[in-house]
Amino acid sequence: MDFSQIPYQINIGLVIVDRDLKVIFWNNWMAMHSGIKDEEIIGHNLLEFYSNLDNVRFLKNFRSVISFGNLSFFSQKLHKYLFPFNTTTSFDTGFEYMQQNCTMGPMRDKDNGEINSVYLTVQDVTDLASYEKKLVEANMLDGLTGVFNRKYLNSVIEKEFERHVRYSRALCFLMLDIDFFKNINDNYGHQFGDFVLKELSARISSALRDVDSFGRYGGEEFCCVLPETDIKFAVAVAERLRQVVVDEKFINGSSSIDVTISIGVSASCDKVSTPEMLIRSADEALYKAKETGRNKVVMMDEE
Amino acid sequence: MDKTEKAIITEEEKEILLEIMNISFGKAAADLAEFIDIYIELSIPYIHVLEPRALSGYLKKEIKDNLDCSIVEQKYWGKFKGDALLVFSAISSRELLSLLDTEKDWGYCSDPIDVLEKESLMEVGNILIGACVGKIAEMLNDIVTYTPPKVIIETQPLDSFFNFQVEEDSSIILLRTAFKFKSTDISGFLFLITSNESVEWLKSALSEFMERS
Repeated sequence: MDFSQIPYQINIGLVIVDRDLKVIFWNNWMAMHSGIKDEEIIGHNLLEFYSNLDNVRFLKNFRSVISFGNLSFFSQKLHKYLFPFNTTTSFDTGFEYMQQNCTMGPMRDKDNGEINSVYLTVQDVTDLASYEKKLVEANMLDGLTGVFNRKYLNSVIEKEFERHVRYSRALCFLMLDIDFFKNINDNYGHQFGDFVLKELSARISSALRDVDSFGRYGGEEFCCVLPETDIKFAVAVAERLRQVVVDEKFINGSSSIDVTISIGVSASCDKVSTPEMLIRSADEALYKAKETGRNKVVMMDEE
Repeated sequence: MDKTEKAIITEEEKEILLEIMNISFGKAAADLAEFIDIYIELSIPYIHVLEPRALSGYLKKEIKDNLDCSIVEQKYWGKFKGDALLVFSAISSRELLSLLDTEKDWGYCSDPIDVLEKESLMEVGNILIGACVGKIAEMLNDIVTYTPPKVIIETQPLDSFFNFQVEEDSSIILLRTAFKFKSTDISGFLFLITSNESVEWLKSALSEFMERS
């Protein structure tokens, strides 16, 4: 059996470089995905062709393999890819470049055992990374509205609260609720109710900053985490959100209605010293907004 | 019974192994500084021979004092084979990221910092284990290869982690050293759990080493 063809034909990228990163071997897989033929790259420094590898992290790993003869693993999670190749499918994978798991290891001189070159394998893991990305997203988002779900929002609140405590940055929280949502469902049907939830989510999302996290807390209740925001500004944001909902009618098919929301605003302070208290204070303010007429913004008691 | 008796190393062999570890770790630290810009202090190593069933208890006791620890595990495989455990005590993620990457261009990345922290931990661990194990193997005229590192971050119960496949009727040679990255607060322990299979080889490699030196 002639095994010498395997390195060329194998469905995995295989590159061998010498101690100065000069390319000695470049298999068909690498040629196919890079568009660079082996005769074009062999004898040249790998960094001439891939300047993105000229970074501390890659070079430290390379020197480690040369010095200690260990293997270095360049995981997709950390590095995304070493070689910026196009993905192999025309379907949208959610990635600009092929996602890769790469391994680097030593090659030794047959006679004296000295490490004289280094191999690098490149494995295409775009599919796996794409599935993982979708799963992670599915776990973070509300199925109906596409905004964050309650579980993810809770983790955001925890994290932002930690940041607020550590760096003493301001943090505000909005709890909002659609007024008379039960009536909308009863009078126009649940499908129209779902439309209202989706449309409202879209309007509010587009009215917020990128750093704000907006999500569905349950039923017709939504909330919003506003990092590095003082309460005056948070009230202004809440007022803007109330406006984008009330300004235009919600129209779907032949149905057209006015929708209003009530909003409770809370801010972290000496009195509000845990994530739970932040949520509860906003909830209490929301209750007060409901009690005192709806379609309004109410700030938590500050004394 | 016969096998067990043979597998345990003598006091003299222990002394030689300690000396080899001392030299290896010294070389590893020197090369890490010279070639990789990683500055590390490795303390005087320690050898412990114990029964397999005592291993989990021993490690749990050692690690318990470091509640916020993260553990990188990697198997090494040559004539010298076994399990390397790198136990980092309370980690500052920013310091960790800076160990390998002075450029800090993490801005583009949408992944949460704990994913990067975990992956960086593995990358640093991989180099550190590779350096220490590689130098020991080199001194014993062996070449080893490695499995990809795995990482465990504190919150998981340690019991489920320490589930080593070991023969009952054997002994384990455990090598331990403490490490600290210079001018950081990152420190911890390195444990090398030598597989029972390689004990026989280790004994002959030690005597060869003595003849050579």
